[in-house]
Formats: sequence, structure tokens, C-alpha cells
Amino acid sequence: MATKEELLEKMKTGVVEYDEEAVKEAAQQGLDDGHVPLEMIMDGLAAGMEVVGELYDRNEYFVPEVLMCADALYAGLAILRPHVPKQKEGLNAQVVIGSIQGDVHDIGKNLVKMMFDVAGWEVHDLGRDVPLEKFVDEQMRTDSEVVAMSAMMTTTMLGMKKVIKMIKEKNPNVAIMLGGAPVTKDVANLFGADGYAESAGNAVSEGIKMIGRLREMQKKA
Amino acid sequence: MAELTPKERVMRMFRKEPVDMMPFFSGMGMVLMPAIKELGYQFPKIHTNADMMAKSAILSSRMFGFDSMVVPYDMTCESEAIGNTISLYEDSMDILYPTIPEKMWKTMDEVQIPGNIMELGRMPMVVEALKICKKEAPELALGAWTLGPFTMAGQLLELDILLKGIFKQKAKVEDTLDKITDMIITVGQAYQAAGADFITLREMGTGTDLISPRSWKELIQPRMRRILEAWKSPKVLHICGATNLIIEMMADCGADAVSVDIKNCLNESREKLGNNHLLLGNFDVFALPCKAETTAEEAIAGIKQNIDGTVDAVWPGCDLWPDIKEENMRAIVKTAREYGSKPSPAVGRL
Repeated sequence: MATKEELLEKMKTGVVEYDEEAVKEAAQQGLDDGHVPLEMIMDGLAAGMEVVGELYDRNEYFVPEVLMCADALYAGLAILRPHVPKQKEGLNAQVVIGSIQGDVHDIGKNLVKMMFDVAGWEVHDLGRDVPLEKFVDEQMRTDSEVVAMSAMMTTTMLGMKKVIKMIKEKNPNVAIMLGGAPVTKDVANLFGADGYAESAGNAVSEGIKMIGRLREMQKKA
Repeated sequence: MAELTPKERVMRMFRKEPVDMMPFFSGMGMVLMPAIKELGYQFPKIHTNADMMAKSAILSSRMFGFDSMVVPYDMTCESEAIGNTISLYEDSMDILYPTIPEKMWKTMDEVQIPGNIMELGRMPMVVEALKICKKEAPELALGAWTLGPFTMAGQLLELDILLKGIFKQKAKVEDTLDKITDMIITVGQAYQAAGADFITLREMGTGTDLISPRSWKELIQPRMRRILEAWKSPKVLHICGATNLIIEMMADCGADAVSVDIKNCLNESREKLGNNHLLLGNFDVFALPCKAETTAEEAIAGIKQNIDGTVDAVWPGCDLWPDIKEENMRAIVKTAREYGSKPSPAVGRL
């Protein structure tokens, strides 16, 4: 019988090598052996994705590889997530996420979404080409702590500024994350956002660093 | 010697012959709101009417002293012609370019390009707009553009199918790209026959923040070469995003000039390419002409930096965003002419 460490390693390697079957097998085995699902997610799947982020930063992996790794991660998550005990009502963090109106690109958005999925957030995915007001309405409806918006083109980026203004007027405590090719740190600051990621890959890289921090926090707790 | 006409300036630059001053032009979208407003048009309407498209292109250039005019404006023409429905955002108060909200093809197996693409959708309208531009503004260089096959595939299929397919279904990806490559050759040739003086191949979504240099070499470069070989000069190859790792391959595809966006380190590119290649782009189309907080002085400094980066013409690194600050736009063009009075690496001065 495989040890817990061996199963975690199999999941981690499976994510890095985009081997969905290996990830599924290890995840199921971990459940059957009675290991803690959240630990399997964080130290197996998320740990694998951290390696993927490093490979991307080193120009060894590119977006196609990252997308396939994400598929492997989700294959494992689908098995493990239902077995993670729900936190008490209202305690799960929530995020509203979408690509802004005029933009039908969603690869970067989906990679950022993965980060929240792994972290166990409740994700309200509005999809792509989302009218500006819908971000505001959905944040109000769900009382989400974070709104994450993505724009692939300069021509759609400007809409973000309006959404931030509308949300911050109603609820100044909401954290806003911007992402997408034309978004720079300057633009994010100028628009009043709280964080940014400049490309799909950068979103992965930044998102994975966030997952890394979450893992550290969890270990301390 | 008398001042060159804008068109003469651009055409001489492409032949690397001396010009009177640095050209300011683009081969990508450069339609501007001040011109659209003066004509009494609305932004969503200029994409579907040849006369409005041509007149807004001409006036945008004449108003601000650009050397070229460029049509079409959006990247959905071919996809719409093939049968997809476009969203024009006619009810929106914002400036939004047409998009394809839902693609009819869900797999690469379904890709079938009609042989009569130039007769479908808005393609005849774009040809008509080119002809109007040519007739009405003979002093300006007339630019046309199409997407490259990989980026175009993203208008026809979900991009992640292509991206993952690079590894999982390589033969199918190659076959799909070949079909689209044939279509792009046809479209470009039709635009050139309609009077385009130069043409830009925009393979935007293939920078190395998306795909690897190896994938670029294997999948993209052969098709760039095939398209560019089939088109007449002058022709430009543009890629967005990270391009420093592939700039030499870009310059080895048969284009007369290569164009890059703000993520490219120009000096590094120039060092790799040497002084005999035309290098364009990199100027920040949001920060310099559009951002409300950017002063004219800052815009001027940005253009000087662009010229110092060894470009051979001041050419926006992407579509100019239509809602420019007029003061900044004028300062940008003036700076290009004045600060660019000295020779660039590949182009001398008269």
C-alpha cells in the first residue's frame, strides 16, 4: 500500500506532468485510505501547481502546458473537494469573477478561478463578455469579499475603472483584482484596484504564489 | 527637395530608402473618436458600412497628420463571413469592438472554410472601403490587415482547444492552421487587389507569454512564411506580448518589417536584428495618447524614448484606442517628426 507521502507525490507529479489519470488514481486512493482531503488538495494538487508556476517563470512551461496541468488539477479536485467539510455558514470566502464586456477571452480568468477553487473559495463565475453592472449586482447579491475582472485588450480595459468606482462607492471594503494582457501595475493603481496580474501566465504565477501563502498559513494554524 | 507625401514617405521607408522625416503610421486600427464625432457617426456603425468605415479612416489620419489610413477596424470579419454572429454592442455607451460571443464550431473537425470567403459577410464591404479610401485620399498610404492563422483560429474556435491541441492533437492543429492559412492568403490578396499599399499580418496571440519559442518555430513560422510569400511587398509581421525570444524568427519570415508591442525590449531586439531590418512598434497606446493623467510633456518623453529604442517609424504597438486625448496625440505626431529628423538604424534621411 502506498504511503500518504507517496500518494501526495503522485498527485504532485501528476499535475506537473499533466497526467490526469495518475492524479485521479492517487486522489481516490487517498480518500479510500482515509487521508484528509484538504491536505491532499494543498500538499498534492496545489504543491504540483506551485512547481508548474516555477516552470512557467523559467520559460520551461508555457500556457498550453499550464492549461493541461490545470485539467489534471481539476480532475483531482473533483474527487477530493466534495469530501472537504463545509465551513460554518457564511465563513467561506467568496469571489465574483469574469471577463469584462467586449472581451470574449477567458483563459486568464479561468486560471485565476482555479486558484480560488483550490483555496476552497465560493466562486461566482460570471463568464465572459460580462456587462459592467453585472459585476456590481453580483457582488451586492453575494456580499463577496473579492471581485476579479479580466480584460485581454486595451479597448476593454477601460470598463474596469467604471466597475471599480461603482463597487467601491457602494462597498469600499471589497478587494478588486484586475488581470489581463494590457493591465499593468500602474493601470491597476490608477483604477483603484487592490491587485493585478498582467497575463494568463502571470495570473498563474501570482495565483500560485497566493496558494503557496495559503498553504503556509494553513500549516501554522 | 520638396516634402514627401505621406504615402511616398511610407513606401520609401519600406524600401529602406531615405525619407524626409520619421514616418508616423500604423498598419493596425487607428480610427479615432474625434473624427467619428465630427462625421456624426456612432462607433458601432462604422464597422458595417463601407462609406462610414472609409471616411472615418481618412479623417482620423488627416485630422492628426498620420501617414497611413487603415481598414478594417475589427478582427471578426472573416469569422462572421464563415457564419458566426457578431456582437456590435449597439446599446453600450462604451467603445467596444465587435466580438464573436459564441463560436459555431466546437471542435477542429468541423473547420471548413468556404471557397468564396470574399463574397460573404462584410468581406465585400471591407474591399469597398479600401477602394473608397484609395480614391478619396490618394496622398495617404493605405493599410489593410488580417489576423494570422493561430490568432484567427481563436475567432473560430475556443482558444484552449488550440492551445492544448498543440500537445494532444498536433496533426489536427496543423491541419486546422493550414486551412486557415489558405483563407488568409486569399483575403490578403483580395485586399491588395483592392488597393492596399501595404498589409500587416497580425499573429497577435503567439507571443512567448502564450506559446513556447519551439512551438512558434514548428507551428507558426512555416505558416507566416507561406502567407508572406504569397503576398506582395510591403508587408509587416506583428506579434503582441513577449517577443524578444522569437524576434529573430519573426524577422526570418519574409516580412519587410517586424512590429512588436510594449512588452518587447527594443534595444535587445535591435541588437539581435542588426541595422538592416525595419523594426516598428512598442509605443504604449494607452499610457501615451489616452490616459487622462498623462501630460503632453510625458507623451513627448515617451515618444522620444520610443525613437531612442531604435524604431524606424513611430508605429503604435497595438490598435490606437479611439478615445485619445487630442493634445497628446498631436504632441506625439509632432515629436515623431521633429525628434525623428535624424536617420533611424535602417532608414536614412534626405
